[in-house]
Amino acid sequence: MANDDIRALSEELAADPASLAFLPLGEALRRRGDLDVALRVAMRGAERHPMRPDAHDLIARISADRGELSRAIEEWESVLRLSPDHAGARKGLGFVCFQLGRLEDAAAHLEAALTYEPDDGSLAAALQTVRGALTRGGIGADRSTVAVQRTAMTGPNDAERAHAGGAPLSGSARPTINLPAAEQWTDADAGALFDDLLEGQRSAAMLLDEEGLVMAGRYVAADGRDLAADIGAQLSGVSDEASRAMRHLGLGAWTQIVFETEAASVAMAPINAGVLLVAAARPIPLGFVRRVLERAVERSRAWLGGMR
Amino acid sequence: MSAPFAHVTESLIKHRGVLGAMVVGLDDGLIVDSTLQVGVNGNAFAALTASLYRKARRSARAAGFGASTFLELAAEQGRVCTAGGQELVLVVVCEPRVNVGMLRVELLRAAELLP
Repeated sequence: MANDDIRALSEELAADPASLAFLPLGEALRRRGDLDVALRVAMRGAERHPMRPDAHDLIARISADRGELSRAIEEWESVLRLSPDHAGARKGLGFVCFQLGRLEDAAAHLEAALTYEPDDGSLAAALQTVRGALTRGGIGADRSTVAVQRTAMTGPNDAERAHAGGAPLSGSARPTINLPAAEQWTDADAGALFDDLLEGQRSAAMLLDEEGLVMAGRYVAADGRDLAADIGAQLSGVSDEASRAMRHLGLGAWTQIVFETEAASVAMAPINAGVLLVAAARPIPLGFVRRVLERAVERSRAWLGGMR
Repeated sequence: MSAPFAHVTESLIKHRGVLGAMVVGLDDGLIVDSTLQVGVNGNAFAALTASLYRKARRSARAAGFGASTFLELAAEQGRVCTAGGQELVLVVVCEPRVNVGMLRVELLRAAELLP
């Protein structure tokens, strides 16, 4: 939607605050990435029209884009209370449950959505992805790669942002299980450098150089693509910020950064001029993530030493 | 008038190894309330830790990991732990040897009181 259209909708809403223009306006702002403004517009609209499912659906989609998964769930559940057959809400809940590792809930919501929209190919693909993850979760260590699930699912009305198509990272990344046995690792395979440290856990590790480029490790999507470069690029900036802070705090050099999010625990440590990064799905205890990081640091140092 | 978050910061600083506890504006890095031991540069910790937390939050979202809830920065001579809401964050400055697990639980609990 062009800026002129957004301006026109804004003017329409200003002239008549009870108008339903907040729906296309909020959606346009969401698509443009103005999530804070979009949320304000949607919240005000929902206050005036609390019984409209599409108002709550809009808040839910904006919240999902902002990474506020709890609010997204609450709003989509409100949608279903008002409109039990709302396929978009089912699809959204499936998307969020998948992100939170609630695979059975995700499958149930997607199955329900598919009954309402049987011709939706993206729904069928998403359900297949979730069922595949459920199956692999039971099989364990059969697979030969770090499988970091990056679903083909998209948020409702967001088929254009499907990750399987190579779009930039956003809200649907989630580390998950399956790693090779230790004996499969070889010195020559930089991508598999940490695989045996992570075996059986929904996690991934990668070693980045000072420019945020991947030197070793991987973060493999369900479709086989290695997303380590994308994830590394997004997160390596945190270590730069830490280094900047340490110059002023008088605590010496930083040795470890750990942060928790709704979907993952991330631990980082400096290695030479670069950084080692471990990401694990949230149910994995933080203490375990730190131990993996420490062991991965030792391995990285040995591996880097062997390159000299 | 009593400070609005004094009970929070005073509770946190009672933990062994904690040198300072602050409630900080996430966007501006300014101290809203604090309980600090003598010699702790609260303004610098507040500004730089809020900046780091903002960066971590943006990066985590961009990487698809959702909203950040807790951050710990460990250094050679100390640690800084942060947890927060949308507007305010709690920042705790500690000695290197501190019970991080206990502190994390307390921080997350206290952070629920923040806007």
